[in-house]
Amino acid sequence: MDNHLMNRNDQTDSLPDFDTWLRQELQHSEPYIDDDGFCEQVMASLPAPRNRRVTERRYNFLQYGAVLLSSGIVAWNFPLGAMIDQLMSQSISLYSLIAVGLLGSTIATGAGLVALKR
Amino acid sequence: MDLSDEILIQRAAQEGDQRAYSQLVRRYQSQLRYSLRQLCNGDQALADDMAQEAFIKAYKALPAFRGDAKFSTWLYRIAYNLVMSEKRKKAPDVDQEAVDRAQSDEGHEEVQQLSMARDLNAAMQELSEHQREAIHLCMHRGFSHEEAASIMKMPLGTVKSHVNRARAKLQSLLDPWREEVVSG
Repeated sequence: MDNHLMNRNDQTDSLPDFDTWLRQELQHSEPYIDDDGFCEQVMASLPAPRNRRVTERRYNFLQYGAVLLSSGIVAWNFPLGAMIDQLMSQSISLYSLIAVGLLGSTIATGAGLVALKR
Repeated sequence: MDLSDEILIQRAAQEGDQRAYSQLVRRYQSQLRYSLRQLCNGDQALADDMAQEAFIKAYKALPAFRGDAKFSTWLYRIAYNLVMSEKRKKAPDVDQEAVDRAQSDEGHEEVQQLSMARDLNAAMQELSEHQREAIHLCMHRGFSHEEAASIMKMPLGTVKSHVNRARAKLQSLLDPWREEVVSG
């Protein structure tokens, strides 16, 4: 009787813990489901791939075009002559004026590009 | 050579490489279809339709996949949502013939293996639907509780509670059987 109980306890102790056992059994009882045309069906139903590189290049081209166009419009309407006359009358050197103008337009264009990129 | 999920996703999402995506479909189709069959009460046709729709939806959403979760977790979440909304649309009608056919198709060679699978399946049927899903995701698929909660759209505590209750129930149902098998 005691031997029988001891054997039974030994057997119970030798069982893997329940979680491990359950995980193993659940995985063992899972059959592999053959593809059987499933993948082809999925692939046939996917939308046509877009060439992202071309799309991105077009998008960048449009961005730069928009920035250049808007800069051109601003430059066309900018009263540069009047501003130079005004500044000359205030005794500022022409070179400093050009430098300030270039710096300003570079910053504005750069900021515009960054904003568009985002 | 098997490429990692990350590389395949990158190729499919950024370069529109459908061959890369087909590798992902092949990699996960069996697991996903099996899981959805459990979720659809054995209705293979519905499960396969849902799996197909999930793969298509995942492909369309790939550019938005940020890689915060594993691809499999994300895919399961999409599939789970699809099945749940399908279940909400129409009351579930179990195709018992389909279930029986599926069970008879599973060609297990060894009698003991068959008996074990049957007993395990019977024990699983004793669980509530949420408990069964939680056990399937956490113990069968190996998702963490957090991942299962995100797939099932449930609070973490609820998922843990489902897993614990299901485990206790399965243990009470299956432990005598386990001991019997060991003692012969």
